[in-house]
This record gives sequence, C-alpha cells and structure tokens, in this order.
Amino acid sequence: MAKTVSLKINGKEVKAAEGATLLDAAEEAGIHIPNLCYLKGLKGIGACRMCLVEVEGGKGTVPACTAKVKEGMAVNTDTESLKEMRRFVLDLILSMHPLDCMTCTKAGVCRLQQYAYDAEIKESSFTRKYFGYPIDEANPFIKRDPDYCILCARCVRVCKEQGTNVLDFMGRGVGSKVTTAHDKPLQESACTFCGSCVDACPVNALLEADRWRKGREWEYTKTASACLACGNGCDIIISTKDNNIAKINSGADEESVEKYICAIGRFGFDALLSDQRITVPMKRVGNELQETTWEDALSIAAEKLKSAKVKGIISSAGILNEDASALSKLASDVIKTKDIDTTVSLYSDADSMKSSDIVDLDASDLIVLAGLDPSQWQRGLPALDAAVRKRVSRGAKLIVINSAETKAGAVAAVNIIGDEAASLAQLAKSISDKSGKASKDIYALLSGINSTEDSDKAAELFTGAKSPVIFCSPSLFSASRNISILTSANVVAVPFEANARGVIAAGLERKGTSYQDILSGKTDALYVIGETPAAGRPDTKFMVVQTSYWTDLAKEADLILPSTSYLESSGTIVNYLGKIKKVHKAVPPAGDSKQHKEIFADLAEAMGTTLKASKTDVKKALKTKAKAKVSPFEKQSGLDIDPSEFTKSINKSVITGSRLAWLEECLKAAVCQS
Amino acid sequence: MLKEIEDIKAKYPDTRAALLPALYIAQKEFGWLSLDAMKAVANALNLPESDVRGTASFYSMFRLKPAGRNLIQLCTNISCMILGAERLRDLLKDRYGLLPGGTTEDGRFSLVIMECIGACGTAPAMLVNTDLYENLTEHNIAEILGKYK
Repeated sequence: MAKTVSLKINGKEVKAAEGATLLDAAEEAGIHIPNLCYLKGLKGIGACRMCLVEVEGGKGTVPACTAKVKEGMAVNTDTESLKEMRRFVLDLILSMHPLDCMTCTKAGVCRLQQYAYDAEIKESSFTRKYFGYPIDEANPFIKRDPDYCILCARCVRVCKEQGTNVLDFMGRGVGSKVTTAHDKPLQESACTFCGSCVDACPVNALLEADRWRKGREWEYTKTASACLACGNGCDIIISTKDNNIAKINSGADEESVEKYICAIGRFGFDALLSDQRITVPMKRVGNELQETTWEDALSIAAEKLKSAKVKGIISSAGILNEDASALSKLASDVIKTKDIDTTVSLYSDADSMKSSDIVDLDASDLIVLAGLDPSQWQRGLPALDAAVRKRVSRGAKLIVINSAETKAGAVAAVNIIGDEAASLAQLAKSISDKSGKASKDIYALLSGINSTEDSDKAAELFTGAKSPVIFCSPSLFSASRNISILTSANVVAVPFEANARGVIAAGLERKGTSYQDILSGKTDALYVIGETPAAGRPDTKFMVVQTSYWTDLAKEADLILPSTSYLESSGTIVNYLGKIKKVHKAVPPAGDSKQHKEIFADLAEAMGTTLKASKTDVKKALKTKAKAKVSPFEKQSGLDIDPSEFTKSINKSVITGSRLAWLEECLKAAVCQS
Repeated sequence: MLKEIEDIKAKYPDTRAALLPALYIAQKEFGWLSLDAMKAVANALNLPESDVRGTASFYSMFRLKPAGRNLIQLCTNISCMILGAERLRDLLKDRYGLLPGGTTEDGRFSLVIMECIGACGTAPAMLVNTDLYENLTEHNIAEILGKYK
C-alpha cells in the first residue's frame, strides 16, 4: 500500500496516495475539477488550463493535472478568480468551436458543452474563427472533423501510447491541427481503426462514422459485457437503441492499460443482421439447405446422434462457460461420447490453460513476450499488443524472445531473436548465475548452457522487477514456467480464443480423440459448435452445425441449429489474464436463434432425457492448479499457428458481414496501409 | 545524408532527441523538407512519420514547401525598419521578383521576413543561409547576393 498524505481541498480534509495528482486526489474525494485535456491513466500535460487551482501560500495558479499532492497542502479549486479564468479559457475555445449543439451527436456527453453550461457562456465574446477544414470521412469507421477539435491532444496521446502513432499535432498556435502524418485520410496513414481516439475525444471531432442521427447518448441503453472475437476477451460497453446496436465502446477502466478494443470488437456487430447470419434452423434436402422448425431440427439431430456408432463433437472456445459445461454434460451423459474436443487443441494443451496464472497487467513492471507476436496491425491479440506498449510507455520494461523479428521488438529493452526455448534456457542460466539460488533440478537442466550478453541484460531486469509477467505461446509454457520457479514471475500461456481458459476450466476438454483427428477421421455423426476455422466437408455421414454465421462448415452441413452471438447471450468467460468476466445480452436473439446451452438442453430433451446441471465450478477450477515443475527447455511441437490468421478465420463471417470487409478490400487493393 | 544522420544519432541518448538535427541535415540536402525527405528521416530514426511531420511543422525554421537554394532572412523589426529594411524588401521584389515567403523563378533565392536577429546596432541586417550581413544598403546588397549562385 502506497503512503498517503493529508491535504485540504476546498477546506475539506482529504487523504491521497503519495505521488497522486491534485486532480485525481480531488476526484477521489468527490470534488470535480473541470478539465478537457486530462485523461486518467495518462500523464497530465497541463494544456487546456481548465484545471488551474490555487495552492494556499503559493504564487499564482497550478494545473491540477500535473501538480502532485503534498502533506499539509491547502488547495482551492473553485474560487471566483479561478471561475473567471475558466470562463476566459472557455470563451477562447468557443470562439473557434461550432455552436451547433442542437444537432451535434455528442450533445449530452460533450465536456465543452457541460462547462459552457456551467459557466453560462452562450457564445464567445471573441471574433468567431472558422477554419473550414475538410472532413475525413472516406472510411466507414471513424469520422474526423477537425473544425470541432479543441486541441486537447487526448487522441494524440492515446494513439501514441498504444504505439499506433497515427495522429499528431501539425503546425502550431491557433492554426495547429490534429491530423495524420501528411494530412492524409486515415486509411492511408497506417490507422488500424481501433477507435481508441473516438473513445478519448471529449467533443465531436472524432466519432463513429455512422453515428449521424443514430441517436444520442441519453437515448441509449448501455450494457457492459465482453468481446469474444479473439484471445483477449476485452471489456466492452454496448449502446443499443430500440433493440439495435448503435455502437460499441471499450469498457475497461479509464486508467487501465486494458482500455482498448480493436476494429473487430468495435465494428464487427454489423454482421449480426447481415446476410452472413443464420437465424432459423435448416436441414439439407437434396443439395439444398431449407428452413425448418426447431422441433423438426432437434428431432432429426436427436435421431442421428442416437443412431450413429462413431460420433464426434468439436466446439469453438468462443462459447461461454455455462455453454461449455452444458456441452460437456451433454456429451458425457446424453450423447455418450468421449470423442469431444475444442479448438483450444489447435494452439494449446489443456494443462497450459489450467496452470496459467491470474495476472494484473496494470501492476506489471516487467513483461516478457516469449514466442508470441501480438500485433494491432495484423489484429492478432491486438489488445495484448496495445496493453504491453502502454505499460512500456508508463515505465515497464519489455523483453521479447522470438525466433523471428517482431514489431514489438522495437520497443523492447531486450530483444532476443533466436531459438525461443534455447533463449529461455539462457535467460534461466543468467538468472540463476546472478542469484546463486536454484534447485538441483534446474542446475541439472542448465549444465552446458552458456548465458549471453542479452540474457544477462534480461536477467538484470528481473532483479529490479516487483511484478514480472511472462506471456508465452502455449508451446513454450512449461519452458517459461522454469523462469517462474527462479523468479516471482507470473506465467500466462496466451490462447487465441476469448474463453479458452474458461471452457477448459468448465471441463470441456479433450477426453478421447483430438479435434484434428475427429475432423479428419471418419464419423457417422459430427456435431460442430460455434465458429471453427475448419473448411471443407469432413468425412462424416451426418453433420450438425450449431452456429450464428454461415461458416465454411455450415455451408456443408446437413443440419444447422442457429445459435446466438455473444452480443445476444449471457454468462461468463475467463479471459487470457484469468479474469472472470460477465457477458450480458445486449440485444434480443436474431430470428429464432437460441443460446448454445438452451439448444443443448432442448436436444437432450429431444433425446429423451433432461440435461442435469454441471457441478464444475469455474471459479474453483481457476484457483486449483498444479505447482510449477521443472521441465526441459523445449518447445511443444504442433501448436505453432499464427494468432492473426486464426482470429481472421474464426471471424471470417463477421468480417465479411460487416464494414470490416471494406478494410479487407482496401488492404488488398493496397490503398490502405497497415 | 543518411550517413550524416547516423553520425548524429550516436550523439544523443535516444533517436527522438536527434530529430531536430536530422531535419536540419535533410533540409540542407534538399533545400526544403519534402514528404519523401520526412519519410527518409522517419525511417532513419525509426520514428513515426506523425512525429516527424508534427515536429517539422511546429518550427518556423523548417520549410515544408519547395524553397530556393539560398534562403534570405531579412529583419524588418524596428531598428532595421528605421534604417531602410523596407526599402530593401521592395528592392528584392523589384529586382529579383522576390516576395516575402516566395522563391525566385530560377530557384536561386527564397525570402523570409524574420524577427530581430540582434544586430540592431548595425542595422539593417539579414542572414543569407547562415551568413550574417550588416549595414546593408541598396548598393551592397546586390554585391552580397551575387556571391550566391
């Protein structure tokens, strides 16, 4: 626990953590200091001059966003002269800001509007300035209208902090403008369209491209949930109006480095109501898939699954814990097969998922990426990439160990390119040489290993680290765990699907034949759940596909059971950091689609039994894990797949059915840069 | 140019700190900072282009539009003005077709009217590239400019 200091704000006794800014300390005490450029979590820049406060005994005023609390300090935030100063600042800003609040999309959540209201400023007393900058709206994601910009640099700073570096100030003084490097449209500026700038903009300068007349904030119902598009499982807030999704924003705490979602998470929702969506049960009649009723579909599925001798079940790990435990129960009690496995097997073993630690990313001061190449640009674990870069911007050190060059390597303190398992062994050697404390088993493993200059440098970083964390590809989990035996490092095998840790914890893991063997083998009946990366019809007599979208397998199916997407489902997931997150239904299921667990229950009924509730407790399962054992420095083979390719394949329908298709086309045509 | 930037890089704790000198090098090479020049600097220093462009556009000593081979910076602040700087400005216009902010047709000179260069005692004064000229008159200015091709 950090030391606290006592101070007085507006006469009120307040306690604050040492090193806190006056603005944060006041906010904590329930006193709002007006500000436009401050963004919690990021360093204050004192640019807008709205947060000026008076310190008793001090000269003049200080910006509360950069001034630190001191013991015994007495601060006033709301004196008449401060109010006058703020009025002046607002007066200046409003002289170059459009006064069209009555039609402005941001009305109601615009800070400038709020402060102008508080200060009773109807219009500026200065000569009105109007630049008439062109609007950047050639892309379907983000609309940039610099005439609304108040030059607070929030977008510039979030874009820089997460390493995308698209936006910056160009020029200076009154004529300065926030724009891309050469004032090019976003799609020509290596923008990833994550929309972090949209979340940061306090006014109407950066907005979702299609927001015009799609409702304003007060008309929306907000649902906090989690995104299931990739291995990161980010927090999201879904805004709906009349049961339609209007927009999705990042839902993580403002100050957390997890405050980020990618373009798929933000804009992929278009696909919910697109032609990629399946909303009614369908059965194959001759060469065609025809609509049918749930009753008919379930009875066919029941009959086929009952009569089949060789049956297999494969599932995506992008389903909720509750769905996973129901499926596990359905397989063992009702369908009675051991040949069940999930897509997790494509990139990880079950143990790596079970034994991964629970990590607080915001506390980590040393991050190791071992055999993992997260990338915002390729959209492979983009939120991990953004979070790591933000941690580095906030002072954490990064070590990258990869067999190939990575983009993250450029911001690493130590970038080791070479054999990953061998590099981890060298790192272990350097660490044990330094501390002189290592068990016999480790010494035995390290004999004959020579440390290198890089591994020594990396080991040095471990010495100073309070909260180190290793993110590794699951294939390097046991090798990475050796480092955790030598240090206090937490180790996380990073999965490529949002709920991989959850489905394994819920008991849905390989019991007999593996995912790939089920797919490539011969079956009488194959039951496929969710959006899986498989393509082409497997060698099976009857295939049931339970999915939300026209996946490649769905097109080949004999029977389709339409399931809800995560935006229409409720339950929990366990994300890659080991956090249990709630998923809440934001919109009603499209058409006749039902959540997986309901379909499993209905199917059990059609098969003549009742699906009993699973006794597996995910929370408990997360807490119980095997102690780290010393294991050889080896890389598990067969698990090397590219996270961005994998993410693309499980989101194929979402990409095709949403505005993300535009980006794909644009990248193909080499108009867009990334 | 790239070699020069590499050398400069070694003198600074991080590449961002070397940005201003690197931009100077590029400007010296090309006379102004074109898009390609800024891209080259960004690549050489491994900095985002937005950073490079942002910095270049902030400082008035960087030229983002094509400029002549030689830059004339003429002071018109009070001392220089009193002693005839405005007449010199008119002379540049009449004789060379050179307007403030402009460039001669042959690309030989660009003109910028600058703020005080601290040569008030020897006014009027101007800089041609990095050379300082004082006590300018309508006669000696032609001779001075003749030295620059």
